[in-house]
Amino acid sequence: MYRISSLLAFSLSFSIAFSAIADEPVSFRKDLAPILLDKCLACHGPKKAEGGLRVDSFERVTKEGDSGSPGFVANDLETSEVFRRISSADESERMPAESDALPADQIALFKRWIEEGAKFDGDNPAADLITIVPAPVHPEPPAAYRYAMPIAAVVFSHDGKELIAGGYHELTVWNPADGTLIRRIKNVGQRTRALSLSPDGTLLAVGCGAPGRLGETRVFDMAKGEVVKVLGTTSDEVLDVAFSPQGDRLAVGAADGTIRVFEIPSGSEQLSITSHSDWVMALAWNADGTKLASGSRDKTAKVFDSKTGELLVTYSGHGEAVKGVAFHPENNDVFSAGTDKKIHRWKISDAAKTAEVAFGGEVFKLSLSGEFLFASSADKSVRQFEANTQKQLRSFAGQQDWAISVAYHAETKRVASGGFDGNVRIWNAEDGAEIASFFAAPGYETVAK
Amino acid sequence: MKMALQGIRTGAFAVVAWAAIGGLTRADDFTLEPIQVGAPQRIEVFPPAVTLAGVREQMQMVVTGYYADGSVQDLTRAAEFASTNAEVFTLDGSVALPKADGSADLNVTVGGTEASIPVQVANQAAPQGVSFEYGTLAALSKQGCNAGACHGSPSGKGGFRLSLRAFDPELDKLTLIHEDFGRRTNSLEPAESLLLLKPLMKVPHGGGLKLHARDPAYEVIRDWIAEGCQLDPPEQLRVVKLQVYPPSGRLLKRPAHTQQLAILAHYSDGSVRDVTELAVYTSSDEAVASVTEGGLVVGKDRGEAAVIVRYKEFIESSFVTFVRDIEGFAWNNPPTNNYIDEAVDAKLQQLKFLPSDVCTDEEFVRRVYLDVIGILPTVEEVRTYSADTASDKRAKLIDQLLERPEFAKFWTLKWGDLLRLTSKQVGGDGVYKYHRWVERAIAANMPYDQFARELLTASGSSHLNPAANFYRTATDTNDCVETISQVFLGARLQCAKCHNHPFERWTQDNYYGMAAFFNRVQRQNTPKPDETFIWVSNKGEVTQPRTGKQMKPWLPGDGDVEQAEVDDRRVLFADWLTRPDNPFFAKIEANRIWSHLFGRGIVDPPDDFRDSNPPSNAALLESLAADFVKSGFDRKHVIRAILNSRTYQSSFEPNDFNKDDAKYFSHYQPRLLSAEQLLDAICDVTAVPETFGSLPTTTRATQLPAPDLVKHEFLKIFGQPERQTVCQCERSSESNLGMAIQFFNGPLIYNKLRDGNNRFRQLLNQQKQDQEIITELHFAAVNRPPTEKELAATLNHISSKDEQIAQHNAETDTKVAAMNKAVADIRKTFEVKLFDAKLQTITEAIRVDAKTALATEEGKRDEVQKYLVAKLGASLAVSAEEVTAALDEAAQKIVADTATQIAELEKLKQAPGSRRIEALEDVCWALLNTNEFLFQH
Repeated sequence: MYRISSLLAFSLSFSIAFSAIADEPVSFRKDLAPILLDKCLACHGPKKAEGGLRVDSFERVTKEGDSGSPGFVANDLETSEVFRRISSADESERMPAESDALPADQIALFKRWIEEGAKFDGDNPAADLITIVPAPVHPEPPAAYRYAMPIAAVVFSHDGKELIAGGYHELTVWNPADGTLIRRIKNVGQRTRALSLSPDGTLLAVGCGAPGRLGETRVFDMAKGEVVKVLGTTSDEVLDVAFSPQGDRLAVGAADGTIRVFEIPSGSEQLSITSHSDWVMALAWNADGTKLASGSRDKTAKVFDSKTGELLVTYSGHGEAVKGVAFHPENNDVFSAGTDKKIHRWKISDAAKTAEVAFGGEVFKLSLSGEFLFASSADKSVRQFEANTQKQLRSFAGQQDWAISVAYHAETKRVASGGFDGNVRIWNAEDGAEIASFFAAPGYETVAK
Repeated sequence: MKMALQGIRTGAFAVVAWAAIGGLTRADDFTLEPIQVGAPQRIEVFPPAVTLAGVREQMQMVVTGYYADGSVQDLTRAAEFASTNAEVFTLDGSVALPKADGSADLNVTVGGTEASIPVQVANQAAPQGVSFEYGTLAALSKQGCNAGACHGSPSGKGGFRLSLRAFDPELDKLTLIHEDFGRRTNSLEPAESLLLLKPLMKVPHGGGLKLHARDPAYEVIRDWIAEGCQLDPPEQLRVVKLQVYPPSGRLLKRPAHTQQLAILAHYSDGSVRDVTELAVYTSSDEAVASVTEGGLVVGKDRGEAAVIVRYKEFIESSFVTFVRDIEGFAWNNPPTNNYIDEAVDAKLQQLKFLPSDVCTDEEFVRRVYLDVIGILPTVEEVRTYSADTASDKRAKLIDQLLERPEFAKFWTLKWGDLLRLTSKQVGGDGVYKYHRWVERAIAANMPYDQFARELLTASGSSHLNPAANFYRTATDTNDCVETISQVFLGARLQCAKCHNHPFERWTQDNYYGMAAFFNRVQRQNTPKPDETFIWVSNKGEVTQPRTGKQMKPWLPGDGDVEQAEVDDRRVLFADWLTRPDNPFFAKIEANRIWSHLFGRGIVDPPDDFRDSNPPSNAALLESLAADFVKSGFDRKHVIRAILNSRTYQSSFEPNDFNKDDAKYFSHYQPRLLSAEQLLDAICDVTAVPETFGSLPTTTRATQLPAPDLVKHEFLKIFGQPERQTVCQCERSSESNLGMAIQFFNGPLIYNKLRDGNNRFRQLLNQQKQDQEIITELHFAAVNRPPTEKELAATLNHISSKDEQIAQHNAETDTKVAAMNKAVADIRKTFEVKLFDAKLQTITEAIRVDAKTALATEEGKRDEVQKYLVAKLGASLAVSAEEVTAALDEAAQKIVADTATQIAELEKLKQAPGSRRIEALEDVCWALLNTNEFLFQH
């Protein structure tokens, strides 16, 4: 029954199997931090800090817990409380609690590192461990999908000849004309929640991660299908990514409630906005790249100055999670949508609502393309609106399950949508005719049949 | 007011939540006694035949041994199980597991006895998916994920919301499968699903470790995910019944103290599945027994416990009794006065508790007065009763008290709490009318069925028919459902308004089905102040908010009422309620009466009847209720029967063989007097009555129509309810610091002790001797004469006052002497002292231009004068004469002041005997502070 599972083996995002080479000093970042994250963080992190000890940063793990002893002390195995507990023979005090002991080679790594002076080999001892461990090489995707995964993100290539969809540890690239598989891009986080193509079409930003474990933004070279940068690693999924219209910046929203803005191509972090109190689920830039809109599970949508990060306005009209945002073409208003099954249009100047559009189910990410606004909904519909007037132009039918993502290619006038059931449909925006329908899961239809 | 209401409701909720989050109990949490198999006459294996028709099926076997002495014990842990064909089925301990289609036998051997059970195995070649509802949701319930304090709370936890105890599979389907793009499950790598990683604590989880990979629930959830998170098909077989084996009634005697349960789900097609692993277990009394996650009941102490078994929306229970030998225990065949004693004794004998002796006449007279009419017997009443030598004097006294007007008034207070009689609810006039209606009903001993019917079907003007106020206090349909179910059905139904009751069989459908009886009640205010007109509309239906379904009126036990198009649906309800065979009605009231007389219900709290809160003596409650029905719902009859029982008349003093008992009525349990009883008692002891606003001066606290007519600080502190809810729990019996302060030095007691016309001052005025006064006070407060020791100590206290007086006077003399000396010193040295200390006085005195002065100590005065003139003359332009005058005046004032002080001190000196009254205040204060006074005992 678990043939695929065994093929993929243990897909924990950090590869903790490799151990340090004997004559090189043990690296805290590479060798130890992944163990702490995997085995200790659940009980000794921000949610639970058993024994007053947290291991989510170097600084914390070397601080005293309730025992009065620091987790690690250079050259002192006796007082290094963490070492003492992981190597204890007494099961009642050995860590990790209620689990098997760490393998002997891992314990040996800790021992050697303490004896080598317990040095921190990162830049910032206060940084979250998750942000300092080296970016992992992700496992191979399944050769053939036993189940199709929800397609939470789709995007057309610059020329409209490729449609990229999120997969399992991969991106799959399809021919939008006939639904045939063109190529597969590997080394992607477990699930892809957002895709954004740079304005020149050369870079593809992928918001991906493993629920509850890892979130990262991987920037791929579109032509080569190779990772160029890994940005903004966090402990839970990245939920939206958006290149600025100028292509000089990339905004990232994640389940840690933070919006991060990175400079492109350097990848250096320009801004970190922590205004939301829950997941940031949607991001959008205005046309000149001066403002950034966001939607969050904290039931608000917000607009920020994209240079300073200053909060310009908060919109609380949804009363439910906000899952999609887009700027009105004239840039004075914002569209936002979410669990309340509506798109709201409201003014940036005073957050006053000026219009709303109702759906039969919750509404996901909004996509603005020129004069058109697109939305996908749990009512299985994909809809096209005249962005200026929010007048509905067309509703694209055919999805058999929730329509959870939508993309539009202006030149070829193609609309693509990903469904919860893994199905991708492509329509001609001019007449609403369905062009292609396929499961974006290689091998799935064969396996399923 | 709103806040207080919230508080009570939240409090109740919190208790439920706490009970819900207790972790799973595992067998290795307990030390189990080895089973002493002995020589059973026969063994019985359950189930008698096993069918395992699917790869996921299994069967928990239970083996019971029956012995020659009539005893029974669970031998499952000791038995050996063997399959005659391991290719057909195998055994994991006492659980049979299928292997391949076919049939074989399961042989059980224990204690030299054997049994054989046929086992049929089928459908092993076909896949059997995990059911969403009966597998996954049951597993989540098992681990407590959807408990009220966790993800089952209305807003969920950490963004993850499940329906409480899986009552709403639609919502759970959305949350588990679709929400957040399927983030919680991973069908490609099931073990990597967040739904498993979180409770396993492989990723941080606010709720902590809630699941182990070895738990049956783990496999169920993992497999369900691995199969692609499939929903149940429409043709999914439904569970129609949950069976618990063994059923209620098992009695285990130490060393036997464990009982393996087998839980079978019966499906709509007649098939049966073992759900022992996924059922959720709770014990009604954790001190008596616990239940492990695997359904092993572990007895800890003697007593009875109901094991509550929950699986999906089904709740069943099984009562298990645990007994053990108590060294030195011998049943002493105490006399029985009536059927009550027989039922109580049967339980006591079974559990090996020995009832206490009968209480003294003095204890009885106090106890029965307080319970029947709410007030203390007077000194004369106690004396008359004590002097009576008739053998049936207790029964006679009971009969007399039941006919006193105070009986109706006092029991109206109890019903006033339940009916929420307040002037806020029913208006200033309404409250008196409603109160009088209840009082008359009780005084006339209106049969309880009629009483309920008149309230429930009341219509018309609330002035002309005060019972109609019932629908003014129950302000809307929901309030009606909750009030009526709590008062007349003993069920707290509030939970079911929003979701199926988490611990009871009441469902949301039941709630709205009951509502359909009452939603047509209309309330209209008339132009007259405080008058509401109650009438019933002939249309209007109730919609279940979750399903949107229109509800038929529904009756517990009877189901939907099909013929509901009648003039007044309330009549249908009242007909059902007051039927003699109604399973709730008589029991609830009989139990409530019992709780009023014992301070504890047979079901306790008395308005919380549910499987998970079983009666401590079911037979007793049954016979009480039967007697109540047979008497024609005669409440006085039941009260009389209880009061005449030996059980009621037991001493409060426990013996060696019942001191651990608090719920089987082996002895009388002392309890603090209620707020109103206490206030009346203080008034009676001190003979200083309390007046309540403009109410007649004869009104006692126990006879107040409503708590909000006159707010009384003392009553509030001692737990007088505001009557905002129908919950008996609103009357608090918790003790608090405020109470201690009231009795230590509160204004109420202080003023009554100081009152010029109180009991002991009257007696003093009548020239009574100390001993007589002390005896009288004891009779008034604790309804008996003082013991010799008490009397001696009290007299000693009074005489010690004279010694205190002598000491006090001596101290005063010393003080006076010191002051006189000080004056003399001033006179000698006043020039210095005056100049330093009284300069201000002097200069002011100078300004007022004193013209005359008396000279003291001429010579020195001249010197001072000279000095002052030199010092002040120039700057202040005063003459020597003026300084002289000022000086004299100042000195004189000091001397005069001191003289006044001395005179006052002298006045405080006391004559011998003058503090007798103070001593008596002390005595009375001390009596009011004894537990004997404060407690009903």
